[in-house]
Amino acid sequence: MRPANPAVSAAAPARARRRLGVRHLAVAFPVLSLVFAGIGAALGETFYLRLATEALILAGLAISVDILLGYTGLLSLGQALYFGLGAYTAAFLLGQGAVGFWGALLASLALATPVALLAGLVAIRSKGVYFILITFGLAQVAAKAVYNTRELGGSDGLVGVPVLQADFGLFRVDLGSPVAFFLLMLALIMGLYAGLNYLMHTPFGRTLVAIRSNEHRVRFLGFDPWRYKLAAYVVAANVAALCGALYPMLRGFVSPELLYFKMSADAVITVILGGVGTLIGPIYGSVALVGLRTVLGSWTEHYHMIIGALFMLAVIFMPRGFAGLFDRSEGDPAQDEGEGT
Amino acid sequence: MSAPAAILEVEKLKVSFGGLKAVNDVSFSVRRGSVTSVIGPNGAGKSTLFNLICGAIAPDGGRVRLNGNDVTGWPPNRIARAGLARSFQITNLFFDLTVEENLRLAAQALEPGGKLLQPKRRSERANAKVRELLERFELSHKARELAGYLSHGEQRRLEIAVALAGEPELLLLDEPTQGMSHGDTADTSRMIRELARDITILLIEHDIELVMGLSHWVVVMHQGQKLSEGPPEQVRADPAVRRAYLGEA
Repeated sequence: MRPANPAVSAAAPARARRRLGVRHLAVAFPVLSLVFAGIGAALGETFYLRLATEALILAGLAISVDILLGYTGLLSLGQALYFGLGAYTAAFLLGQGAVGFWGALLASLALATPVALLAGLVAIRSKGVYFILITFGLAQVAAKAVYNTRELGGSDGLVGVPVLQADFGLFRVDLGSPVAFFLLMLALIMGLYAGLNYLMHTPFGRTLVAIRSNEHRVRFLGFDPWRYKLAAYVVAANVAALCGALYPMLRGFVSPELLYFKMSADAVITVILGGVGTLIGPIYGSVALVGLRTVLGSWTEHYHMIIGALFMLAVIFMPRGFAGLFDRSEGDPAQDEGEGT
Repeated sequence: MSAPAAILEVEKLKVSFGGLKAVNDVSFSVRRGSVTSVIGPNGAGKSTLFNLICGAIAPDGGRVRLNGNDVTGWPPNRIARAGLARSFQITNLFFDLTVEENLRLAAQALEPGGKLLQPKRRSERANAKVRELLERFELSHKARELAGYLSHGEQRRLEIAVALAGEPELLLLDEPTQGMSHGDTADTSRMIRELARDITILLIEHDIELVMGLSHWVVVMHQGQKLSEGPPEQVRADPAVRRAYLGEA
């Protein structure tokens, strides 16, 4: 069949080439999730819906790592600090009955911002491996402090977080319903993705990418890299804290493990598996990792060894992560597509 | 306020690394609208002098004045904002970003801070600058390519284009013909001459013929000190310069 219109045939190869772009992963994710939620609701499923909701919450922590690692070139091994901060703030206030859904979220952001500013002032002054060590150290100190604070439940953590109603003015979401919570979390994580994706394409975001690429040169163009890195650090901390605040709403409790190194390290692994510098990759990565852990964990208690081996294989065969498989541009996925100029 | 005739004044600038006096009591000034060159054998302290002027390293003593303002000890980003841009001897670009993005980032300095969080297309002045530079430096067809994939000559051109993107008043070029073929060197020489029509240039170069043909004023460095300065013919005739440098060639 010959194309009737030559303009259409000329445009076709370009469209075909873009068919599998990273952006399409961002469309596919909510679509697949809605199908999943529909099936889950129809079957009256609870376990997998709640597990998927947890994966989305952890995806927020991974996105927080990706802002720093994928866009700013900073490896934080302590992002669990902010996740835990948000979780504990929400659990503590909700347990007291002091706040509702929105109050808990706002309180964790209000606390994460000054903490991140202070920690960032210390951590970002140091370069390279020292930044990694300081972020690691800060999270370890915080975890130990929480572990030893009786008011925060010590090693047991805080339990008895009530089931909430999230009031959206026009409608209310009952967080006791697994489907409703899943859909709320899906909307939130896609909203975060859209907002951060926008941010990373503004001149501010492009300057972060430039800092990751060649910090030395940025300075001679008239920009102070330090300010940009601090801003990125605070944004990332707020993303982690926001998602952390949702954790006790889902699970009903928090424990010091939320601040442990394993949380931070899992988030980094999630980002690397999903695709560094893509924002959407870590969301897929989180679902994959939580899924793997559950499936393998039901077979053997030594599932960490299998995940470790799979991680190594993934790094060898998909060096740019899952999302990297869909990225046709050369260089790295944080690369801009050049629209707007 | 009328602008001073000298855009850059360097006064008794000095720095040492360990016991080595890399730059020792160097003074000179750059007249607005001129091309001034710093020449000297390897290790004469030319690049260190550049690093002191643009804020990459802090001097142990002396002053740097840009447009009459004392900028001694300012960080490089502040000096850049004050109107000084530089290129690097060893190509220093965002190699994993596109040519267009390299320029866009540099041109963003033209925009007020309020545009930072708006979509890029709102930074009209920066975007217009990018298009202008892509054309002027014959890089339009490479706009979407990664800077790291350009040829050496193209990278050297982009290096200068990036330095120009912030519309500096004074441009420091550190060996712009480094590693270039003879033909490319001639092109670069022509380009510098063109640039000099609307911008003040301070140049480090070891291609003497290029320097002599381009410059209004030449400063000769030797072992960290200023050996001589003057118009090209005068410097060329200076016996001390011939002994220290030109005689070797």
